[in-house]
Amino acid sequence: MAVLAALHTEQYGYTLRKIMVDHGIEIDEGTLYPLLRRLESQGLLTSKWREEQKRNKRFYKLTAGGKQILEQLLNEWRSMDSSINSILKEYGHATSRTVLAGR
Amino acid sequence: MQLLERYLQAVKFWLPKEQKEDIIAELSEDIRSQIDEREAALGRKLNEPEMESILKQRGRPILVANRYLPQEHLIGPVLFPIYRLVLKVVMLCYVAPWTVTWIALLIFNSGYAAKFVGHSWVEALGYLWASLWSTAFLAAAIVTLIFAILERVQLKNHFLEEWDPRKLPPVNNPNVISRFNSIVELAANLFFCVWWTAHVSSHVVFNQPNLRISLAPTWRYFFWGFLFIAFINIALAAVNLARPYWTARRATFRLVSDIAGSILFCWLLKSNLLVEIAGASISPAKAGQLTAAINLWMARMFPVAVIFGVVIAVVNIFRIVRVSAPQTHIPGERPAMA
Repeated sequence: MAVLAALHTEQYGYTLRKIMVDHGIEIDEGTLYPLLRRLESQGLLTSKWREEQKRNKRFYKLTAGGKQILEQLLNEWRSMDSSINSILKEYGHATSRTVLAGR
Repeated sequence: MQLLERYLQAVKFWLPKEQKEDIIAELSEDIRSQIDEREAALGRKLNEPEMESILKQRGRPILVANRYLPQEHLIGPVLFPIYRLVLKVVMLCYVAPWTVTWIALLIFNSGYAAKFVGHSWVEALGYLWASLWSTAFLAAAIVTLIFAILERVQLKNHFLEEWDPRKLPPVNNPNVISRFNSIVELAANLFFCVWWTAHVSSHVVFNQPNLRISLAPTWRYFFWGFLFIAFINIALAAVNLARPYWTARRATFRLVSDIAGSILFCWLLKSNLLVEIAGASISPAKAGQLTAAINLWMARMFPVAVIFGVVIAVVNIFRIVRVSAPQTHIPGERPAMA
């Protein structure tokens, strides 16, 4: 979901991984590149080789289908987040945000 | 950079043919971007140890390539628990009887045991393993092959997803006695009583013109003893059929009956019961030898009979303990009563 969200704007693998790391999501190349290929084979991403800084790089971008799936995933995520928060509120006396903030 | 080329070549070797070039181009670009960034930060070219460190952090070539390959397995997680169970059962059904047979051969077959005279027990076990492993290996290979085929079929048909909750086995309660078992026990003991009284009531158990087999006068004790035990078993099976759950009292009766049967059988083996075999086609000398040999073999079976008797007694004692222990009541079933 994070990868799909970051690919609203075109990125190549290396910069995409840096975006993930900068936002606290540690993902190694061995996981990221096969994942990008799977998402592309599912039609959620599109890719093209282009020269940049004198080197050929493969740029990925979200497709229309990818945007739709991302929207669905975000809805599921928000719904799950709200459910967990309500459970924490009732039984844990804290929301996930306060729990996370306390870490 | 030669180290990088060597690394890429090693990864390339394991990649799927149609994607080799594409994946390697992207991986190469990614590693070069990382190197560029490091060099920009350091303000110089990377030396060999630094290069090695980057590649090492990327991982072993086969593992890197493996992440691009489709996930494959010979037997998947769905079938694996069943496969493991079947393999255990097959191994137990093969290895255990084979080992028991081998030990029995060692004890009772002097010709076979002579092979191991002067050898240590470790060598003897090595001999057992040598004759055991090839068939055990073959059995395991056949089971694995069958499950590998089932895995492929399951991936296509998803036959394990089709199931009916009504076909689940009933809740296992060891204190419940199967009515089928009681009926079989009843029928077998009735048949035994009829056959026993009709054919072996006299100490001359076989009396035909061409063959006569006589037993010692002590036979009458065995005759009445086994008949009495069979009557007890009939009574017990009839009660078990009507009330199909173990009680401490009935389990104790079964223990007493089984111990009595075992003692009687062990005594029978040691009592030189066979007195005479006479036949038109057997010379008296030969018949004497045969009689002695049968009595000897029966006596040699004594330790095995004792072991079986002890095992049966232990099982019965365990049942009494289990029945006497406080029970968790299972809805819809009658609890065991003392």
